[in-house]
Amino acid sequence: MAFAWKAAGLTYNRYLAVAARVVRRSLKEEKRLQAERRGDMDLRFAKWENGKQGDMASLAKANASAMAEHAA
Amino acid sequence: MLSTAVRPALRASAAAALRPATVAPPNAATYATLREIEGRLKSIRNIEKITKTMKIVASTKLTRAQRAMADSRTYGQTSNTVFEKAETKPIEAEGKKDLIIVCSSDKGLCGGIHSGLSRTTRRMLAAKSDIELVIVGEKCKAQLGRSNGKNVVLNFAGIGKNVPTYADAQAIADQVSLLSTDYASVKIMHNKFLNASSYEPVTVEAFSEEAIANSPNFAAFEIEDETLSNLREYALANSLYWALTEGHACEISARRNAMDNASSNANDMINKFQILYNRTRQSVITGELVEIITGAIASEDM
Repeated sequence: MAFAWKAAGLTYNRYLAVAARVVRRSLKEEKRLQAERRGDMDLRFAKWENGKQGDMASLAKANASAMAEHAA
Repeated sequence: MLSTAVRPALRASAAAALRPATVAPPNAATYATLREIEGRLKSIRNIEKITKTMKIVASTKLTRAQRAMADSRTYGQTSNTVFEKAETKPIEAEGKKDLIIVCSSDKGLCGGIHSGLSRTTRRMLAAKSDIELVIVGEKCKAQLGRSNGKNVVLNFAGIGKNVPTYADAQAIADQVSLLSTDYASVKIMHNKFLNASSYEPVTVEAFSEEAIANSPNFAAFEIEDETLSNLREYALANSLYWALTEGHACEISARRNAMDNASSNANDMINKFQILYNRTRQSVITGELVEIITGAIASEDM
């Protein structure tokens, strides 16, 4: 069983998030606004090396670019 | 006419009262403390207002946070049922590192729940040194980054403004699963909500693929090898979501308690200072009266 999304480099969680976003966006207007707030993600993250914190970066962008790299 | 007779004498006594005040203020000291007390009283009142408002805000947030916690707990427990039934055990591999995901938040003013997590983490680090840390939230990052900076591999910020969403958990899980090191076991540490005033740092195990594949009753589930990594990622996100929301509920509840205590402490101080203020004012007035009366008597004698 080969998954198309796996070939595109997505993780299972990302695949779920995209699917959930599609469902949320297809809701009616008032329900949609409420539901879309549940899909908000605005985290920042930093990598640490040798006890020193690196630069803060947006998690969403980093995840997207990491998955683009994994694309086969 | 007493008033005309008294006036020069009063002026003299006023001048006499002024003179020592400019040179050395033994009398002025009482006035100064009166004003000081007033200023302090005012600032404590303002602080009380702030803490009271924060308490109200936390109280309103608490119901939502607790509902989210109850929902996510069902989520996490259901997801873990698979591993319970499969009797999955963390593998005891030599030379492999452990990973701890510490779920705190960005905001303080909520008692000791962040330092509780940090303390438990430090204890685990003392028992076994080759553990790597992923820290969610600024508070624990500041505490653990100072003492165990070498062990930290990732940290996340921006959590805790609102109830954590599943999207948050997924994004963190993705980034964690992208880490290059192969970990023997992944533990998620969060505060467990015992009741409205007591919390306890606990760990939830998130198993590695190898551990899942090696579990005794694994065959009963008929999971194909290809979907195994999906299951692991999904389970990690579920457990993270559970940990984040439960930690969030604990934090809000702890903040409510902390602000409640702060408000009642401020109230106590206000009462104490009010009494002190009244007493000082009374004694200042008495002192002034005594001065006026002695002045009047002295001028009558002239």
